[in-house]
Amino acid sequence: MQTEDLIRALAADATPVKRLVRPGRRTITWLTISVVYIAAVVLFMGLRPDLSTKLAEPRFLIEVGAAFLTSMMAAAAAFCAGCPGRPLWERLAPLPFLAIWLGSLGEGCWRDWVGSGPDGLTLQLDFLCFPTIVAVSIAPAVLIFSMLRQGAPIAPVATTALATLAAAALAAAGLRLFHPQDASVMVLVWQFGSVAALAGVGALFGRRLLRWPHPRIT
Amino acid sequence: MRKLNRQQDREESWRILMRAAQDGDRTAYTRLLSELLPVLRQIVRRRCRNPQDAEDIVQEVLLSVHAVRHTYDPTRAFMPWLMTITMRRITDAARKLSSRSANETTVDVLPETFSGHETKKEQDTSDDNEVIRRAISLLPPGQRQAIVLVKLRGLSFQEAATATGKSISSLKVAVHRAVKAMRRNLNRKI
Repeated sequence: MQTEDLIRALAADATPVKRLVRPGRRTITWLTISVVYIAAVVLFMGLRPDLSTKLAEPRFLIEVGAAFLTSMMAAAAAFCAGCPGRPLWERLAPLPFLAIWLGSLGEGCWRDWVGSGPDGLTLQLDFLCFPTIVAVSIAPAVLIFSMLRQGAPIAPVATTALATLAAAALAAAGLRLFHPQDASVMVLVWQFGSVAALAGVGALFGRRLLRWPHPRIT
Repeated sequence: MRKLNRQQDREESWRILMRAAQDGDRTAYTRLLSELLPVLRQIVRRRCRNPQDAEDIVQEVLLSVHAVRHTYDPTRAFMPWLMTITMRRITDAARKLSSRSANETTVDVLPETFSGHETKKEQDTSDDNEVIRRAISLLPPGQRQAIVLVKLRGLSFQEAATATGKSISSLKVAVHRAVKAMRRNLNRKI
C-alpha cells in the first residue's frame, strides 16, 4: 500500500476517541481500589497483635510509609511511561522512596548487629513472605496492567517493572500489618527481596504484555 | 529567529489539528498526517538507508500514531509526543531487521541443492527417477494419465483436456490427487 493511500485510509477510520485520563488521576484510581483491597485482605488475615505498639515506633512508620510511597510513585511512573512525550526522569520517581525503604531496613540490620552481634543477623527460612506478597499483589497487578494497556507501549520493559514494583510494594506494606516479622534482615531478604525479584520478573514480560495495537483499516 | 517562529507556528498548528482529529475531524487528520509525512520520511531516512525499509517504518509510525492517538494530551507539546513514538518504532524496526538478518544468509549462488541435477551423482539421479517412475505406476489410471501429460510431457491443461477429452477442472483435480498420493507414497519409502 502506498503511504498516501494509508493516510487516506487512516483518516477515513478517524472516529472520535476518548482521551487517556492523566497519569495522576489514574494513579489515584488504582491506589484507592488497591488500598481498599489490601485493607480487606489485612482485616481478613487479622491485624498483628502488637500493631498499636508498632504504630508508635517511628522506624516502623518510616519503613511502611516508604513501602507505600514506593508503590504510589511506581504506579505514577508506570502510567507516565505509557504517555509518549513525557520526561524520562518521571520513571525514576519511586527511587528516592525505594532508597528510604532500603535504608530503613539497612539501618535496622545495623542496629541488630550492634545490639546482638552476628546472632542479630541470623537468616531463617520464611515460607510466608514470598507467596503472600505474590498472592496479595495479584489483584492490584491485574488492575494496573489492564489500566496500562490503554496507554502506548513506548517503554514496555520499564513500564511492567514499575507496575509490578507498585503492586508488590503495596502488598509488602500490607503484609507488615498482619505478619509479625520484625527482624530487619528477614524483612530485607524475604519481603524487600521478594518485591525486587517480582519487579525483575515483571520486566521480563514487558514486551509480551504490552504490544502496539494494530488498527483495523479498510 | 524566523526559523524558531516557524517551528513554533507549526507546533501550534499540529497541536490544534491533533486535538480536532481526536474529536473525529477527518479533514484535520488528513491534513495533519499529510504534513507529518515529509517530516517522518526525513527522520526515518536519516536512520535507515534502504528506501523500502524506510517507507515501511514510516507506515508503521503512522499506524502507531493512529492506534495511540488517544494518548496525546492537547495541553502538552505535540512534537515530543510524535518523536517518542517515531524513535520507538525505528528502534523496534531495527530490532526486527537485525533478528531477521540473523536468520538469513545472503549468498549469490547456493553452494548445493538437493534437487539440482548438477550437484548429484549420476547414480542418485537414476535412483530418483526410478522411485518416481514406480510411484507413478502405482497411481490409478486416470491420475497417472493426467500427471504424465501435464507434469512429464509438459502439456497445458487446455492441451491435455483436448488430448484426453476430459474437462480442465477434472484434470486439475486428478493432478492434485496424484501429487498428494505420490508424496504420501514417497514419504512412506523414506
